[in-house]
Formats: sequence, C-alpha cells, structure tokens
Amino acid sequence: MAFQSKQSMTDSHDRTDAAQGIEGVLLANRDRIVRFLEVRGAGDGAEDLFQDLWMRLTDRRMGPIADPLPYVMRAANNLMLDRYRSARQRELRDKAWGEASATQSPSSECALISREQLALVESAIAATGERPARIFRRFRVEGIHQRDIASEMGVSLSTVEADLRKVYAKLAEIRRQFDAG
Amino acid sequence: MQVERTDAEARAIDWLVRQRDPDFTDWDGFADWLAEDNAHAAVYDAVASLDRDLDALPSASAPAVTIITDAPARHHPSRRRWFGGAMAAALVGAIGLSSLGLFGDDGRIETLAGEHRTVELADGSKIEINGASVVEIDKDRPRFARLESGEAMFHVVHREHDPFVVETGGAKIVDLGTAFNVVRRDRQTSVAVSEGIVLYNPDRDNVRLVAGKGIEARDGDRNAPAVQDVDVANVGGWRSGLLVYNGTPLAVVAEDLKRTAGMQVSIAPDANDLSFRGALIIDKNRDRTIADLAALSGTKAERQGDGWILTR
Repeated sequence: MAFQSKQSMTDSHDRTDAAQGIEGVLLANRDRIVRFLEVRGAGDGAEDLFQDLWMRLTDRRMGPIADPLPYVMRAANNLMLDRYRSARQRELRDKAWGEASATQSPSSECALISREQLALVESAIAATGERPARIFRRFRVEGIHQRDIASEMGVSLSTVEADLRKVYAKLAEIRRQFDAG
Repeated sequence: MQVERTDAEARAIDWLVRQRDPDFTDWDGFADWLAEDNAHAAVYDAVASLDRDLDALPSASAPAVTIITDAPARHHPSRRRWFGGAMAAALVGAIGLSSLGLFGDDGRIETLAGEHRTVELADGSKIEINGASVVEIDKDRPRFARLESGEAMFHVVHREHDPFVVETGGAKIVDLGTAFNVVRRDRQTSVAVSEGIVLYNPDRDNVRLVAGKGIEARDGDRNAPAVQDVDVANVGGWRSGLLVYNGTPLAVVAEDLKRTAGMQVSIAPDANDLSFRGALIIDKNRDRTIADLAALSGTKAERQGDGWILTR
C-alpha cells in the first residue's frame, strides 16, 4: 500500500474491542464449545483443546467480526481437522509412504496427497461428467456460491447440490483406494 | 456395514459442502449429528481432510477469481459481510503452507486477488499475504522470504545473530525484530515499518527505518531512497480492510483494491494523472467503496464488466 497520511481515522477498526469480543464469546459459550469439541473427536481432551482454541483466537490481530459465534465454531472445527491431519501426517511418515513425506516435518498444513495422487483426483473429477466437474470446480476451486453457480449455468440449486455430492463421493472413494494401496 | 459407512459419508459430505458457505451457522446441528454416532467424527475428518488437500488444485486461468469476493455479496445484500467472512477464513483456516513440499513448487505461495493468507514460519515469525501476491519461502532457509510480487506484512521474531531477510526485486530488507509491510509492484518497492527497526539494502543503501518510517524505491535508482513518515496505525491496513492514501496515483489505488478485495477498477486515460487522498474502507457493498473513491478523487465511476471504470 502506498504512503499514509497523518490524519487519524474516525472509523477506527479497534482490534482490542474485537479481541475482547472473541473472549466474551468464548466465555459465554464455553459449554457449547467444549461439547462441540467432545463430539468432534476430542473426548476427554476437550477442556485442554478449549484452551488451545482460546490461544489461537485471542492471540491474533483481527478486524471486527460481524458474527462471532459461528466464527469461533468454525475455528474449533478447523482446530480438530488440523489435529487429525497432523496425526495422519505422522502416521503416513511412519509408514514411509512416499519418499517425499519422509523429509516433511509433521504439520497439519502439508498436503497429505502426492502430486501423482492429485493428478488422479483431477481426472476422477473430470470423469464424473462435464457439468458436475465444472460445477465442482466453480464451487471448490473458484469459491463461487452454489446459488450463483445455479444461475450462471441455468440449472436448479438441487442439481448443483446433487452434482457436488456426486463428485465428493467419487473423491472419497478414490481416497479409500489411496489408503488401501 | 458398508452401507452404514457410505451413508455416514454422504452426510459428512453434505455438512462439508454446507460449511464451505462462509455464512454457515448450523454448528449445533452438526454437533448433534456427530453425537449420534461416535464414528461420525472420523468419517467427517477423512472427507474434510481430503477436501483440504484440494486446495492444491490449480485454479483455472479464467478471470473468474475476482468473483470470489464479489458475487456472493451481490446476491445476498442482507448478509452482513463477505469481506469479514473472507478475513475470518483467512485467519482461521488458511494458516500455513498448504501447497508446500509435495507439489514441486517448493515454498511458493500464490494468492488470488482478494484472498488473504497467513503463513507461520518454523521460528514463530509470521507472514500475512495480501491477494494477488507471490511469496517464496525456503524450508532450508528459515530466516528468509522473497516477495516476488504483491504485498505482505511481516511479523518477525528477533534472533540476535540471525537476522531475518526479505528479498524483493533487487533489494534486501533486513529486519532487526519487527513488523513491517512490503509492496512489490511494477519495478518499485515500498516498505513501511510499524514496529522495531529494519535495514534496507544494508550492503548498498543501508537505510535504517524505525517504526513510523518508510521508503519508496524504484528499481535502478542511483541514490538511496528517502525516508518518509508513515502512520504506524495504518501500516498493513489492507488486513483490516482500511486503505489510507496521501496523494497516491489512482492506478496504484486500483492495484491495491484488486489485491486486497479482488475488485477490478480501471482508470480512463483522462483520469490517469489524478491522485487520491483519503481513506477507503473495503465496504461489504463494494459500490460504496467505489463511490467514495470517485467522490474523493473527483472522478465518475461506472460499471464495466465485472468491475468499474473511473473517468474524469
């Protein structure tokens, strides 16, 4: 960004308020969040993970969040997915499942599938048919809203939903093959 | 057994698809489903984990990327904030090196226009990357990053004898424990420091920048760039959707809007020499942002394709 003037902003984006807002939401919804973490797979570790979530969310500079509870729940869900992926990464590495993985440090962020597998995934998507593949690409890669995809392609919303389910089911099947192989 | 798993998987896929909508709120419903059977969490994790790997799928070269931030807002005027949602997603979900390592382009992180991403490095340093930017990191050189193009805010953990180096264009920015924003645009580098001290090109210009100072350097300049004052509160303002300018060419503002919010703004030739002074808030209603820009720069804004054009 280019250079800034000395003027102070009247519409200030107060990060302190935003952080306090998140803390308030975490406290007010503690039981609900802990219960979510429990059923999401944390079991007895849910209380500890609540602390992790607290650190994750309060440690960060962030702008104001319009709707903080869903934001917190999404963060809790991502925390659990990150944990799953870290565990999976270790597992795959222990199995020496690919030469590339041996050099990777365990991290929830490394991709868990290889370049070759990704190519297989792409051709599996293509094999579901032109419309499902296109809808899936618009939705998952380009981030277009389902309703907008439906209107731009002139199909119903339920068609878009059905196509997305179809492609995801295919991908889940491919994944099982990776795991088995 | 087979049937049960497939059914659970279909439900997991439904949840996943719904959750990709930034406006998804039914987390209690999701929790209820998870509680129905304690195998559900594992089924969901397997599907969601696969889904995250799909981040590595290359996006088509279509200019559709700009729609990512635009289209949902246009169709759901009642929904509070797409930008907030995008920021939230960037903050919560996308921490890290999703396409690192296994996919060849080792350590190359490329963001779409309007996409904000945060990368945490092994030493605890953090890079917040604005949209339409390319940053390269190297796992063998943990105290190094290269801003190939675009904009990023660096939060660097200080180590006494191991300075963090950011390279951009032909320049080196060496930090001494700090936070600073760097923009690399066409043959030009801007640095603005919000905390600590950085050295710009220590072997050549050796310009020392403390908090509240910045430089704008053009490639091939003979002299060291002049140190300018910057407002610390606005350094890296793109992260909160606030862009502040003081006599900046409109083309530069347009470029920032594209990076930060995925907005396509072109400047008619007759408005090319106008400059802009003022603050822009990336409003959920992008037309309002454009209206502010037009009013404050003395231009008229009209829709043009997916974007806008400013004329005098």
